[in-house]
Amino acid sequence: MTLERFRRGYTVALEWIVIALMAILFIEVSLGVIYRTVGVALVWYDEVASILLAWLTFYGSALASVKRAHIGCPELVDIAPPRVRAGVRVFAQLATIAFFLLMGWMGYSVLGALESDRLVSLPEVPVAWVQSVVPISAVLIVLAEIITLPGVVAASMRDKRPGAVEVTGGASH
Amino acid sequence: MEILILFACVLALVLIDIPIAVALGIVAVVAAVVTHGVGTLPNLPLELYNGATNFPLIAIPLFIMAGAIMNASGISQRLIAFASALLGFIRGGLAMVSIGASMFFAEISGSAVADVSALGSILIPAMKSKGYPSPLAAAVLSSAATLAVIIPPSIPMILYAVMAETSVVQLFVAGIVPGVLGGLGLMGMAYWFAIRYNLPIEEKFQWARVRKTFREAFWAFTLPVIILGAIFGGFVTATEGAAMAVFAALFIGLVVYRELDLKQLKQAMIEGGQQTAVVMLLVAASALLGNYLTEVQAPQHLAQAVSDFTTNKWAVLAILNVLFLILGMFLHSAAAIILVVPVVMPLVRAAGIDPVHFGLIVTVNLGIGQQTPPVASVLMVACSIAKSTVWEVTRVNIYFIMVLVTILLLVTYVPVTGMGLVDLFYR
Repeated sequence: MTLERFRRGYTVALEWIVIALMAILFIEVSLGVIYRTVGVALVWYDEVASILLAWLTFYGSALASVKRAHIGCPELVDIAPPRVRAGVRVFAQLATIAFFLLMGWMGYSVLGALESDRLVSLPEVPVAWVQSVVPISAVLIVLAEIITLPGVVAASMRDKRPGAVEVTGGASH
Repeated sequence: MEILILFACVLALVLIDIPIAVALGIVAVVAAVVTHGVGTLPNLPLELYNGATNFPLIAIPLFIMAGAIMNASGISQRLIAFASALLGFIRGGLAMVSIGASMFFAEISGSAVADVSALGSILIPAMKSKGYPSPLAAAVLSSAATLAVIIPPSIPMILYAVMAETSVVQLFVAGIVPGVLGGLGLMGMAYWFAIRYNLPIEEKFQWARVRKTFREAFWAFTLPVIILGAIFGGFVTATEGAAMAVFAALFIGLVVYRELDLKQLKQAMIEGGQQTAVVMLLVAASALLGNYLTEVQAPQHLAQAVSDFTTNKWAVLAILNVLFLILGMFLHSAAAIILVVPVVMPLVRAAGIDPVHFGLIVTVNLGIGQQTPPVASVLMVACSIAKSTVWEVTRVNIYFIMVLVTILLLVTYVPVTGMGLVDLFYR
C-alpha cells in the first residue's frame, strides 16, 4: 500500500469518527431539550455533552492534521525560497509532533492516577476512560503529521502553497 | 513584561507556520516548566482536556452544521430568488440582491466564510456575466458576508461570550440593528458603483413575484426566525437553539424541499466537525497558556498599565479598536478572540465598558479583519471564486470596508445603535 493510499484511508476513517461524534452530539443535545420540555431533565446531559465536545475537538484535530487544516499563518513562509520553505516546514511539523508526543505521553501517564475517579452524573463511567481521548488523539495526530510530511516537503519545493488539501477556513467565521 | 515575552514567542512560532494552537501549547509548556519545574507536566493534558469541555461552545458545531445542511438543501437559490424579486428593480440589481441575500443567509449561518462560499459561487459568476467588473463582484460578496457574523446567530459572538463570561443571547440581540444598518450602508455604496459603471436593472418590481418567491423561501426564513425567537425569549439556551436549528435544517432539506442528499449531509457533518475542532483546539490550548497568564496576573498588569495612561472609556475603546483592527489583518477572528479577549477583559471592566457592548464592537471589528489582507479569509474565498487578485479586489473593497468602519464607529461611540434593543428587552 502506498503512503498516499494509506493517507486517504486514514482520512476516511477519521471522517467517520467525526461524523459519528457530530451525530451523537446532536442527538444528545436534542434529547436534553425534549426531556427538559416534558419536565424530566436528564442529569447527565451537560456533562456528557461537554465530554462529546472534547472528543470532537481532539479526534477532529487529528482529521484537521491529516487535511492540513489547522489555523496557522503560512504567508511569511510562502514567500521564502523553496529550500528554506521546505526546511522551515519540516521544523514546524517536527515541533508539532514533539508537542503532541509530550501531551500523549503525559496524558497516558495520568490515566493510572485517575483510575478510581468516576463521572459525577454517571458514576458507572470511569474518568480515565473519558480522558483517554488525549493520548489516543495525540497518537493519531502524530501519525497524521508523519504521513503528510513527505507531501508537505514535495509541495514546498514545488509551489507556494503546500499541504495536501487547501485550508478549509476552519476558524474563519 | 512576561506577557510581551510570551506573545513574542507565540508570534515567532506562528510566523514559521506552526499551527497557532500548537504554538500556544509549546509556549505554555515551556512557561510551566520554567516556573514550576517538570513535575507540572502531567497536569497539562488534564488542563488541555478541560479547556475543550466548555458547554456553551457546543452551539458552534451545531450552528455550523445547521448552516451547511440548509445550504445543501437548495436554500441559497431560493433566498437569491426572493432577494431578486424584492431588490432586483434597483440599478445594480444583482449587487443589491447579493447584499440582501447575504442578510437573509446571515440569520441561518453564523459564519462569513460559509456565507461567501454559498452565495458567491452563484452570484459572482452571475454578476460577471452581466458586465460587472470582476473585482466589484468579489468586493460586494466579500463585504456583505461580514453581515453573517454581525446578524445572529454568530460564531464569533458565541466565542466572545464564553471568553468574556457574558450573555450570548444579549450579544445576539445587540447585533440585529448594526447588521441591518450595515446591509443598508453596503447597498448604498453598491448603488453608487452601479451609477458609476451604469450597471443594469435586473427585473421589474412585481408583487406577485415577491409573493411567489417568498412562499418558496418561507420555511428557510421562518424556522430560523422562530428558533432565534425562542433563544431571545429565554425558552431555550443558545446551545439548545442550535440543536433545534439542525433539526429544522434537516426537516427543510429532507421533508420540505427534498433536495438534501445523504452525500451532502455527510460532507456538512465532516466540515462542521473539522471546523469546530480547529477552533476548539485553539480554545483548549489557550486555556493552557491562560492559566499561566492568570498566575502572573498579566491581564491585571495590562489593565493597570493602560489605566495609568488613560481611564477615559472612549479613549480605551479607541485603543482597543485600533489593536483589534491591526490584529484582524494578521489573525483569524477566532484566534484573535481566544487570544486577546481574556487578556483585555479586566481593562474593559475597569474602564466601565459594558461587556456586551464590547463584544459587539469586537465582532464588527474582526468582521472587518476578514476583509483586510494579508490574512483575510472571507476576501480570499471571494477572490478565488471571482478569479481576481487580492490587490484588485481590495482597491474596490476599500469603499465597502469604509462603510463597515462607519458601522464600527457607530456601534462604538453611539452605543444605543446596538445596545438599544438589549436595554429595551433585557435591562
